[in-house]
Amino acid sequence: MRGEELKGHLDALLLAALENGPRHGYAVMEALRQATGGRLDLPTGTIYPALRRLEDAGLITGSWSVVAGRRRRAYRLTAAGVRALSGKRSDWRDFAATVTAALEGRPCPGPA
Amino acid sequence: MPGPRLIREYLAEMSEHLPAGIVEELADGLDQTHAHYVGQGLTPDAAAEAAVAEFGEPQVVVAAFLRASPARRAGRRLLATGPVAGLCWGAALIAGRAWTWPVPIAARVLSGAALVTVVGLLGAAAFGRHYRPVRRAGAAGCLGIAALDAAMLTAVTVAGPPLTWPVILAVTVSTARIAFTARTLRPVLTC
Repeated sequence: MRGEELKGHLDALLLAALENGPRHGYAVMEALRQATGGRLDLPTGTIYPALRRLEDAGLITGSWSVVAGRRRRAYRLTAAGVRALSGKRSDWRDFAATVTAALEGRPCPGPA
Repeated sequence: MPGPRLIREYLAEMSEHLPAGIVEELADGLDQTHAHYVGQGLTPDAAAEAAVAEFGEPQVVVAAFLRASPARRAGRRLLATGPVAGLCWGAALIAGRAWTWPVPIAARVLSGAALVTVVGLLGAAAFGRHYRPVRRAGAAGCLGIAALDAAMLTAVTVAGPPLTWPVILAVTVSTARIAFTARTLRPVLTC
């Protein structure tokens, strides 16, 4: 799955990767790879600006620590980030159900 | 910058465009990616090649940081809302018959020049192609717009025109914009 296909969904994926606790950029990418069975084809370097953007929006917060002599920046969800993730999950379920219904010719489920 | 030459060169290219804090974070990520590939049995050089390939072309990563730049977003927001603030102040000045105020010609020219300069800075932040100049223009533009708003608020306080709806609206818009720039300035300066 390429970056273009992820447009609009990357924020939700990053928030979900941070749901279980703080992670640094590389660990976020690893978590996404594991969660998707390695099907994400996204330049790792582009994860970092997305994390900065989410931080700027107040959905995650970053902090520096020193690990093995190297400074490392880890991110964790804020309360606003938890709420945003919940909303994005709900939106995704609606979107996926609607598109699946249209593609497979099934009746669209009613609003939750 | 320790590590294989390929990674050093990659980070050196990033350093030409991005602030030290961002490069430091990328260096840590590259280091871990490299260690991951070495752990999988690749030679250090092959692991460096794989790590750099996984991170993506430097220009792609720099462009992604530019798109996510707080300075760029601040510049675009302030440019987009600028006409609204301009209309509010225009209406307030017309309602107050500002052309009859005893404002020296030099002050009028300086105000106009300051406004044009600030709009230019915000334009450079909104549409510039290089991270560092965009950040500088964004910071200067934010400061400039806050100074212009503060000057207008001071002028209204000193002149004490009748509190008409256009004046109240313009004061509200300028106060909101000062609050926005105060909140935005820190990420613009630190990212």
